[in-house]
Amino acid sequence: MIRLENVTKLYKTSTRPALENVTVHVGKGEFVFVIGPSGSGKSTFLRLLLREEVPSRGKVYVSNFDVAKLPRRRVPRLRQTIGCVFQDFRLLNNKTVFENVAFALEVIGKPAHTTRKVVPEVLELVGLDGKSDRMPWELSGGEQQRVAIARAFVNRPLMLLADEPTGNLDPDTSQDIMLLLERINRTGTTVMMATHDQSIVDSMRRRVVELDWGRVIRDDARGVYGYDH
Amino acid sequence: MRASFVFSEVSTGLRRNVTMTVAMILTTAISLVMFGLGLMVVKAVDLTKDNYLDELEVAVFMTDDISQQDTSCTQQPCATLKRDLEMNPAVASVVYRNQDEAYQVFKKAFKNEPTMLDLASPQAIPASLQVRLKSPEQSGAIVKAYTERPGVSLIHDGGETVDRLIDSLRVMRNVTFVGSLVLLLAALLLIANMIQISAYTRRTEVGIMRLVGATRWYTQLPFLLEAMVAGAIGAGLAIGGLLGMQLVVPSGFANQLQNVIKFPSTFYTAFVISPILMLTAMVISSLVGYVTLRLYVRH
Repeated sequence: MIRLENVTKLYKTSTRPALENVTVHVGKGEFVFVIGPSGSGKSTFLRLLLREEVPSRGKVYVSNFDVAKLPRRRVPRLRQTIGCVFQDFRLLNNKTVFENVAFALEVIGKPAHTTRKVVPEVLELVGLDGKSDRMPWELSGGEQQRVAIARAFVNRPLMLLADEPTGNLDPDTSQDIMLLLERINRTGTTVMMATHDQSIVDSMRRRVVELDWGRVIRDDARGVYGYDH
Repeated sequence: MRASFVFSEVSTGLRRNVTMTVAMILTTAISLVMFGLGLMVVKAVDLTKDNYLDELEVAVFMTDDISQQDTSCTQQPCATLKRDLEMNPAVASVVYRNQDEAYQVFKKAFKNEPTMLDLASPQAIPASLQVRLKSPEQSGAIVKAYTERPGVSLIHDGGETVDRLIDSLRVMRNVTFVGSLVLLLAALLLIANMIQISAYTRRTEVGIMRLVGATRWYTQLPFLLEAMVAGAIGAGLAIGGLLGMQLVVPSGFANQLQNVIKFPSTFYTAFVISPILMLTAMVISSLVGYVTLRLYVRH
């Protein structure tokens, strides 16, 4: 599903690499936490998968795409196989819950009848049925993140990337969001989640890839946040 | 591509930036009005030229003694002069206008100005050979060849007057073109600015579009269309303005002017100049839009 092979990423503005000689393989349907302190390279890791960045050295494969060599016009195809969720939700405040989710389908040219059918289904999956006409600012943080997850998942991507999705949420709400991500993972969707949240990583006991200064320092099949915590 | 999506994006985009959009539309409209006026003057130059050149004559005025003695141009040196002119390959026809006839023409031309009529008498107006040319451009050569001939007092080249008129029209044309260019530059910058602001206010939307795998068309077409719609409205206003001007200008004034300068018809403005203006607006707004998107909006 995902293969990074000896990937090094250098930014022009930095003297040390953001990622250095990183090799990680992730299979279909896996749930992987990417952990590490700020500046350890987590975000760069996710951005490489999305082709927001290209590696300075090494190879990145996502599904059947050779990401680094992908011509620009094919990048949208790659991104349609990946759903993204962020700490700050990134909802459109002038659109309702329904419209926010439908937006993701509209902009990739899906016909209106598909949208009308699929959006209520995914809203039900994330537990927001009955709230489709609400505006984002009428919702709690947890609900907003559910909308964001619905939007990321509505096109049934092969993979969900979540960059600190619980960073702005209280522990209980975070647990709910994790249950939701688990449910999505059970549908066969690969989930990669970058996080600082120790309790979540510890309670889930999933695969943990730990980065530090751009290097992979740990890759445990059923890891916890840190040995000394 | 879902048209409804694109159109709703364009209309919200235009409304969101309404002050900017209005500024851009007005600047585009004014610059296009000037450009249109320039085009009208170009046409006016051609029409005026054609009009005058059709009737252009070189008048070879005779000296006083010939004017007074020879009423039919049968004596020397008038007869030789007339024959020479008739033999000249550049000349189409030569008509002798004696003092009496000249006075009649003068009376007709100044029939509304009694003071001028009082001042003139048949004896004060010289006889002349009215020379009509095959090709008006050769008037200069005729003037040169016959000025020194015996019996000739003065040669009046009608072409010179037309040239002066045409020259002033050309100056007018250049001024309007330069003015429209400067304003077009302002419109251009406003378009670029409008797109940048639009892109900035829509950065979350565009960000999401990119992440969910929208193609370049989806992310950028709304911006491009926004610029083009604003450009089209500007061009529409300019066209309306030009046609309105032509229709509203008092017809008496226009007719008087038409005697001197031939202006293009409303038909010409509507079906030749208007499409040019619309096309210019479309091409410029889409080009500037495209370049701005390339430079400022990441896909």
